[in-house]
Amino acid sequence: MNDSRETILAVRDLKVTFTTPDGDVQAVKGIDLDIKAGETLAVVGESGSGKSQTMMGIMGLLAGNGRVAGSAKYRGQELVGLPLKALNKVRGAKITMIFQEPMTSLDPLYTIGRQIAEPIVQHRGGTFSQARARVLELLELVGIPDPKRRIDSYPHEMSGGQRQRVMIAMALANDPDILIADEPTTALDVTIQAQILDLLNSLQAKFGMAVVLITHDLGIVKHFASRVAVMRRGEVVETGTTADIFERPQADYTKMLLAAEPHGRKASPAETAPVMLEGRNVSVDYATGGGLFGKKAGVFRAVDGVNIRLKEGQTIGIVGESGSGKSTLGRALLRLIPSSGRYQFGATNISDFGRSAMRPLRRQLQLVFQDPYGSLSPRQTVGEIITEGLYVHEPQLSRAERDKRAIEALKEVRLDPAARNRYPHEFSGGQRQRIAIARAIILKPKVVILDEPTSALDRSVQGQVIDLLRDLQKTHGLSYIFISHDLSVIKAMSDYVVVMKNGKVVEEGDTDAIFEAPRENYTQTLMNAAFTA
Amino acid sequence: MISFVLRRLASAVPTLFIVVTISFFLMRFAPGGPFNLERPLPPQTMANLMATYHLDQPLWSQYVSYIGNAVRGDFGPSYVYKDNTVAELIGKGLPYSMELGFYALLLALFGGVLAGTIAALRQNSALDFLIMSVSTVGVTVPNFVVGPVLTLVFAITLSWLPAGSWGDGSLRFLILPMIALALPQLAVFARLTRGSMIEALHTDHIRTARAYGLPARTVVITHAMRAAMLPVVSYLAPAAAALLTGSAVVETIFTIPGVGRYFVLGAINRDYTLVMGTVVLIAIFVIVFNLLVDILYGLLDPRVRHD
Repeated sequence: MNDSRETILAVRDLKVTFTTPDGDVQAVKGIDLDIKAGETLAVVGESGSGKSQTMMGIMGLLAGNGRVAGSAKYRGQELVGLPLKALNKVRGAKITMIFQEPMTSLDPLYTIGRQIAEPIVQHRGGTFSQARARVLELLELVGIPDPKRRIDSYPHEMSGGQRQRVMIAMALANDPDILIADEPTTALDVTIQAQILDLLNSLQAKFGMAVVLITHDLGIVKHFASRVAVMRRGEVVETGTTADIFERPQADYTKMLLAAEPHGRKASPAETAPVMLEGRNVSVDYATGGGLFGKKAGVFRAVDGVNIRLKEGQTIGIVGESGSGKSTLGRALLRLIPSSGRYQFGATNISDFGRSAMRPLRRQLQLVFQDPYGSLSPRQTVGEIITEGLYVHEPQLSRAERDKRAIEALKEVRLDPAARNRYPHEFSGGQRQRIAIARAIILKPKVVILDEPTSALDRSVQGQVIDLLRDLQKTHGLSYIFISHDLSVIKAMSDYVVVMKNGKVVEEGDTDAIFEAPRENYTQTLMNAAFTA
Repeated sequence: MISFVLRRLASAVPTLFIVVTISFFLMRFAPGGPFNLERPLPPQTMANLMATYHLDQPLWSQYVSYIGNAVRGDFGPSYVYKDNTVAELIGKGLPYSMELGFYALLLALFGGVLAGTIAALRQNSALDFLIMSVSTVGVTVPNFVVGPVLTLVFAITLSWLPAGSWGDGSLRFLILPMIALALPQLAVFARLTRGSMIEALHTDHIRTARAYGLPARTVVITHAMRAAMLPVVSYLAPAAAALLTGSAVVETIFTIPGVGRYFVLGAINRDYTLVMGTVVLIAIFVIVFNLLVDILYGLLDPRVRHD
């Protein structure tokens, strides 16, 4: 398929090396890639596979300690080692890029109109006011509403999806030959994700540029790419048409990636199972504005009258996009933030419990966070981190007993007990999440609230963490509230699903019912965006 | 914008009031008084002096009348420079201090930003190391050392420049005190600029600018520099207030007739009114420059713009 098309970027034996205090690290180990005119090539791999660094190397965008070797010829012109002046004639004009981080990839100090105009003025000449007409046209093209007004907006005045549209407008400004999209939708909500990918697709059909889609998300690949290159640890393990890769994968790694989509189901707990944690009419308000000379104070209702009943052994999945109030709800249920409503833990009414009244209950109510990098103190050893709760809840334990408990907990999360003498930075994301889970279960809790515990992890690692959480639930009879924006993970983990939007429950029900026959429009939109992409 | 300025000016009133109140009582609690000389005055003379200046009245009534007069712009007579009011002394000295301070501020700001930018662009090179070492010296060596050394080298040994005094106010006279005054601030500006510039050069939007083929000069000046100036601008307010209100040390070493000396001399002599006058002066400068800097900051950064 498409083999008759002309190869416009030929990458041969490309190597990217980083100089680090521990010696040289080869991020890309001599890869070959061909990009043909007008095609969509997906470069797929997990974090650390070198998929982004390959493109950064070709575009001369490596960090200061990185260097590139080998060859990357764009229509016969060698890009590797090209002097900056000549390279600057290619990048931004013939080859353009959009990045993963729409929130930070635009300069916060200039209007978006000026930023889109910059490469136009640079590569085509003319003045900024002459470029304005073209900028308006581009904004229209990428679906920014009311471009005449938005052209003078600053990035912080726009949403993530809109900023990514602005980046796309910038990428299209000079009619490029190749558009490199580096994880263009990873930082966006699923519904926005689908819109951005559709936009890229239709623009490609219209203008016929080649698109290099760098992603870890196989769902996106299947839907949008014509060819796929699978990368692992700096090497291309397999290349082929999308159909071949998905239906007849050759490399073991590709097979593993395809199988790593979360699978399995959870059965509902028995009807008679006791209720562990209940929140009735849970509402959380945040004050906005205010201050001595500030604007008029207002109230933002983050969670609005939500009811939750968590039974023993149950997993309730709470799903929603960013800003839906799902994390806030989790914190309110644990009485960690001021909130109104009625709360019951087991037989105890905890509605009016303050900090000190809650403290003895805390060991039974634990919380695991999304960010395995930010939620572990970098200055404590793993042993200190996971035993910290024991000082509060079981102060009578001797040092040796605490150590014994730490060993048990680490074994339970399938980490080497020797890990307790090391520091968090020595561990990978998945291992750190295991440490965070060990910190929660060492206290032998009844209820654990898991706030996006797998969202920062690669798919293959995600699957392992999900398996671990399931096993722990069985062994200890835990009840989970599982908060996530990722429907496939929710589907695999929970027996009951609550869909939230703008602080309210849109729909709830047993997992099968929600996934097979969603009643509400919003749930259907979410499903479509997540599973057809 | 106008309402922002008005709000800030309104909030300056309680600030000034608190500053004046605290310094008034602190000053009075310090032992001694303006007329406690080495050779004690006869009791009768002392009593007369105290009565003339109302120092024999209870403290609270002195405080009330000071505040009452200050509100009307009357900061009273100096107790030590008896022929002058505080307002006259400050009015005479301030133009000298401000002119010298203004040049020193320009030197510190532009020199510091330039040095810091060069150091950041050549991070970890010999040049970076040199600039940072010199700026460490600039911060750590006090200007009562820098001043005399400059005089020794450039005025006495080389005879290139005059050793002191305002002279005819021409630049020749101002160069050495200006350098002595600017050096510590220049070093701070250089360090601030280097740090924020290095940070700015590593942001995602700088990567975007490079990915779109913008030349290095545009990337650095248009995109990195503007972001890097934000912390520098924040420091501008205290630096400007400090430099423009003069320095006791530099003005003494170079015999400049500015106001910087009055703060120290006033404090040593227990010249209550003179100290209070300089306190009010410095407080006003700090408030005004903070306001100016906040406005400037809003112009640089649309995210904090005051509408």
